[in-house]
Amino acid sequence: MQTSSFPLEKIQKDFPILQRTVRDGKPLVYLDNASTTQKPIQVINAISDYYTNHNANIHRAVYALAEEATEAYESTRDKIAKFLNIKNREEIIFVRGTTEAINLVAYAWGRQHIKEGDIIVTTEYEHHSNIVPWQLLTKEKGAKLEYIGVDDNGELILEHLDFYLKTGKVKLVTFSQMSNVLGTISNTEEIIAKCKKAGVKTLIDGAQSVPHMKVDIEKLGCDFFAFSAHKMLGPTGVGVLWARKDVLETMAPFHGGGDMIREVHKYETTWNDLPYKFEAGTPNIADVIGFSTAIDYLSKIGMDTIREHEIELTKYALEKMSQIKGITIYGTKDVLKRGGVISFNFHDVHPHDVATIIDRDGVAIRSGHHCAQVLMERLQVAATNRASFYIYNTKDDVDKLIKSLEKVAELFKL
Amino acid sequence: MSDPIYTEIIIDEAKNAQNQGTLENPDISQHDANPMCGDSITLQMKITGNSISDIKWHGDGCTICKACTSVLTQIIKGKDIDVAKNLKKEEILSELGLEHLIKQSPVRIKCALLSLKTLKLGLYSYLAKKIENSSSFDSLKEEAAKLY
Repeated sequence: MQTSSFPLEKIQKDFPILQRTVRDGKPLVYLDNASTTQKPIQVINAISDYYTNHNANIHRAVYALAEEATEAYESTRDKIAKFLNIKNREEIIFVRGTTEAINLVAYAWGRQHIKEGDIIVTTEYEHHSNIVPWQLLTKEKGAKLEYIGVDDNGELILEHLDFYLKTGKVKLVTFSQMSNVLGTISNTEEIIAKCKKAGVKTLIDGAQSVPHMKVDIEKLGCDFFAFSAHKMLGPTGVGVLWARKDVLETMAPFHGGGDMIREVHKYETTWNDLPYKFEAGTPNIADVIGFSTAIDYLSKIGMDTIREHEIELTKYALEKMSQIKGITIYGTKDVLKRGGVISFNFHDVHPHDVATIIDRDGVAIRSGHHCAQVLMERLQVAATNRASFYIYNTKDDVDKLIKSLEKVAELFKL
Repeated sequence: MSDPIYTEIIIDEAKNAQNQGTLENPDISQHDANPMCGDSITLQMKITGNSISDIKWHGDGCTICKACTSVLTQIIKGKDIDVAKNLKKEEILSELGLEHLIKQSPVRIKCALLSLKTLKLGLYSYLAKKIENSSSFDSLKEEAAKLY
């Protein structure tokens, strides 16, 4: 039984895809939510309604449709401000996703402020999107990229941060609030506090945290924050970069083009106000509007309620899975320190083989390096299996995963 | 219980994969990896005259990748370079009853063919160097890309 107050049955009915079957009539057990989540009918309808009834380009024309589209697009910014406790709506920049948000910072802030000999600090459990842009930047500038290590419990070793901060050369510390492989929730407040004391900027990758727990950006006090819509019931192709206004004002534009300008002359151009200076070209209007509905959906349930549901599910899964012979689970066992992401290996069976076999029962998990090869090296594995939960998952889903793992053991005679 | 991929033949072939290890002073040493899944192998060959006198491989891969690599090395060991150059994916897949992957599993076929792609890249680089004709290397790279 789930927590009695959690409207699980009602939620499941809102997701059309959960009604379908896969692989010859098996009900879908979707456990790849850290990768992307499914979409409720409300979000699908909002996108369809935009194209059916309101489609027009925004910020320019004066006719009725254009006003409706602009209003729907811009009101999403206000909704995000409320959802994450952001004071200034003009600090919210729409991008394609977390990856683009981080690249924007590396390009538009990094190229202005990073110099030879400077240090950028990231962590061993980052997604490639929070490593590669910094490799590109530090190589271009002759700066250095350093890593906060991960201990055997899957947590960041903050002494490493202290060590680098002492050099006085660190300009930016960039890290995920929740690991996409281990589910570890970073000591975000503590890291930001240390950096602030040292006068160092911070970027938080919130791609895994914002969908699953309450986040208060004002309270965090970081400088940059990035996240994606598609990991929180919204459409693909939409994400947000939030940055403090005074920081944004020191940055050069990212892309040049329409909408980001004030006046264009033959040889020079003046920039539009924030946030438009960083939103060149026609944006992904329909999907921003779909994202707005996703935020409504999550807000209605409540982020604390969602977190409780996932804690309960993760606790159940960790207990049940730990009892399976030959399983290795990575990261902390303390459910209060982790999200609903469980990476594991099963005997010495390659994760791709595990995922293929359990897919025959309709169980969808991720296998591979999860765009985190630096962490795979640290764990000394080539790949892991990863099951990750969201609001529509049940203890029954966990049971089905475990039952399918028994088939793997049978096939490989384990 | 029968499974369309994980038959005893494949699981046994992977568990007892042949020609694993490293060669001293190989004439060809080629590494390649599948970016999405982490399969990663190195193929090494000794060339004597026109033939592949020895071949070894090492790396980390799934059952399909290991079984296919094992089969590939057994097929071409001791054979003429031309045999290896003309080796078709069907020849490897049919040994393991995996021909159905071509049509049915666009993802897993990459695991099955990583060793063949690595072999062709290694051979063509070697041959291109020998004849100092880089255009043949490009055509081989194209051929390797078409394997999927």
